[in-house]
Amino acid sequence: MTTSALRIRGLAKSFDKPVIEGLDLDIAAGELYALLGPNGAGKTTTLRMVAGLAAPDAGSIEIFGIDTQRDPLGAKAITAWLPDEAMLYDKLTPLEYLAFVAGLWRMDPAHAAAEADRLLQWLDLWEQRDTRCEGFSRGMKQKVALAGALIHDPRLLILDEPLTGLDATMARLVKDALRAQVDAGKTVIVTTHILEVAERMADRIGIIAGGRLLAEGTLQDLRDRAGTAGMTLEDTFIRLTSPASVAAPVAP
Amino acid sequence: MTIVPAGSFGWLALHELRLAFRSRATRGAARWIGYLLLAGWLVIGCLTGWALRHTPIPVPPEAMIGVLAVSVLGLTFMTAQAMIGSQRTLYERGDLPLLLSAPIPGRSVLLAKLLGIAATIALTYAALLLPIVLPVAILGHPRLLGLVALLIALALVAAALGLALTLAIARLVGPRAARTVGQVVAAVLGGALFLVTQLLPHDEGRTGTFAALFDRLRAARIGTSGISALPGHAALGDPFAILVVLGVGVAAFAAAGATLERAFLSGFLDGSATVSRSRPSGRASGRLFHTGLTRTVFAKEWTLLVRDPALAFQIVLRLIYLVPLFLGLVGGRHALPIPAALAFASVLITSQLVGSFAWLTVSAEDAPDLLSVAPVARAQVDRAKLLAAFAMAAPFALLFPIAIGVQTLAGAAITLVMTVLGGGAAGYIELKLGKPGKRGAFNKRRSGSIVAGILSLLVALVFGGGAAGLVFLVSGGIAVP
Repeated sequence: MTTSALRIRGLAKSFDKPVIEGLDLDIAAGELYALLGPNGAGKTTTLRMVAGLAAPDAGSIEIFGIDTQRDPLGAKAITAWLPDEAMLYDKLTPLEYLAFVAGLWRMDPAHAAAEADRLLQWLDLWEQRDTRCEGFSRGMKQKVALAGALIHDPRLLILDEPLTGLDATMARLVKDALRAQVDAGKTVIVTTHILEVAERMADRIGIIAGGRLLAEGTLQDLRDRAGTAGMTLEDTFIRLTSPASVAAPVAP
Repeated sequence: MTIVPAGSFGWLALHELRLAFRSRATRGAARWIGYLLLAGWLVIGCLTGWALRHTPIPVPPEAMIGVLAVSVLGLTFMTAQAMIGSQRTLYERGDLPLLLSAPIPGRSVLLAKLLGIAATIALTYAALLLPIVLPVAILGHPRLLGLVALLIALALVAAALGLALTLAIARLVGPRAARTVGQVVAAVLGGALFLVTQLLPHDEGRTGTFAALFDRLRAARIGTSGISALPGHAALGDPFAILVVLGVGVAAFAAAGATLERAFLSGFLDGSATVSRSRPSGRASGRLFHTGLTRTVFAKEWTLLVRDPALAFQIVLRLIYLVPLFLGLVGGRHALPIPAALAFASVLITSQLVGSFAWLTVSAEDAPDLLSVAPVARAQVDRAKLLAAFAMAAPFALLFPIAIGVQTLAGAAITLVMTVLGGGAAGYIELKLGKPGKRGAFNKRRSGSIVAGILSLLVALVFGGGAAGLVFLVSGGIAVP
């Protein structure tokens, strides 16, 4: 039986208007899941609720069987959240930042220090480990934030637009890092506007629009459902998120 | 925007003026409170103007000296404000790359920016001055319109001085330290004149240092004759004096435009450059990793404070404004004994400092989402932050009880307890009512929460008054000669 990394049932959230309406989602452990959708579809809101940054109006979220509303700290302990704008302190160095994150996750100092050194070397940040982040490029900041997300060895890694604004080398590095996590048995959820990334990397893809899951499955599944056999994910995405499809979603 | 040709200096200047006006605008309840206060101020101005419409306004020498003193004081504040504005223009504002990449002469950009800074300064003071001056002038005393000319001249001079000082600092200390040193200089400039007046020797029986200062100026005929009388004459409508002060303002402005263009451009380029140096320390990483949330939060908050000396200095510098209150307590006929006054000062200063540091650690958190996704209870993080704020204020909190301890140990103990209680209450208020903001916006933190500001003051007065009273009782009213 496959272990469920993320289980969402009947999730709802409204701000001025409903953003998420009765969302159900299941993501298996060890999966790289790409959540796609047009702007304002509710992707980030959904993932912020999973990460514990927003409270749902209704519904439940379980991370590896832990209810995020009943045991938020337990759920957070095994989760990492990496938004598109890195959560950094400009006046701290990468090493100091990692020490702070390790402290928040209550890691053993000796183990955390060794892990920080390994991550800084792996992400090619070793030479900058004692340099304040204030002068870093966006890509460098994103790498520091990624190191912060990985240092506590999360079982579920959630990334919101992780490749936005990165150059080709940086983007490759991040993609390799994500693939390495999945190969190590971790679960990764990404939202992205870069459909090529989802097409080439994701085990399964979910398409969300108007606060509802319109379709999900492998790329081939989505093509079959959208009737776009032989076409790209872009064609499939456009077909599935057209106003007509949003009004009458494709049955999973 | 269509009257002047697009891309000309006038067009750019109008753009900057529009930005200056919009930067003054507030939102929500604060906006309506602002309108209400302005309307009330205007009503007072209209009533004053109506009452004085047929009454000649006497001009004693004190009025001339007063205008000079206020002009000098205003110029120091305005220059400090202009320095901050110049730093923002050079190092923070995002539109300079756009303007300098457009086919517009660099001098036009510089002058337009300078005009924007001057307008921002003038608007700050105009909101206080014009609702009173304009009705009085229109209803019967048109000569008072000279005050408007004086305000414009001061703003122009301050903008030029502020930019020149900022660029000089950047040249002297380099782009990396320019921001920090510039902010410190601006803060010192803002408080310098005020501090100097407090340090002047008091005459016997006089409680006001400004009164003593006026006596000295009158004796030296400063402000009533010669060049020093120009601001006074201009403010009272003397056309020649108005022309001279406006001429000085425009000349300073034009001179800045003519001489600072190259320094302005290189200052911008240096400011845009990467400011951090790569300096691997070579030390083991383990020294930075701690056990326990409190130690982790402590380390982070202290590192952030130490790396922003300008901000730390700004917080401590605010204590200067408490000096007159303390002098009032220990001077004059109804003076408190020194230990009681020190006890009051201890609580007042500590609660102010803890409130400020707590705002930095709690409300000005740069990565609130990181703390929200971490598996730690928010209350636990807040407690650790409050403790860090307390530790930051501790050197000041201990200073006064030690001084009191020289005379009365019981007084020292009481002061210490009341100081801890007052500081704790101030920090708790910040924790519960503080509004989130950016660290750089420290000076505007209270605009976010008026209630927190009032409560903090009340706490300081209640605990400070209590401490002073108790110390007075246990020390038996010891007075130091």
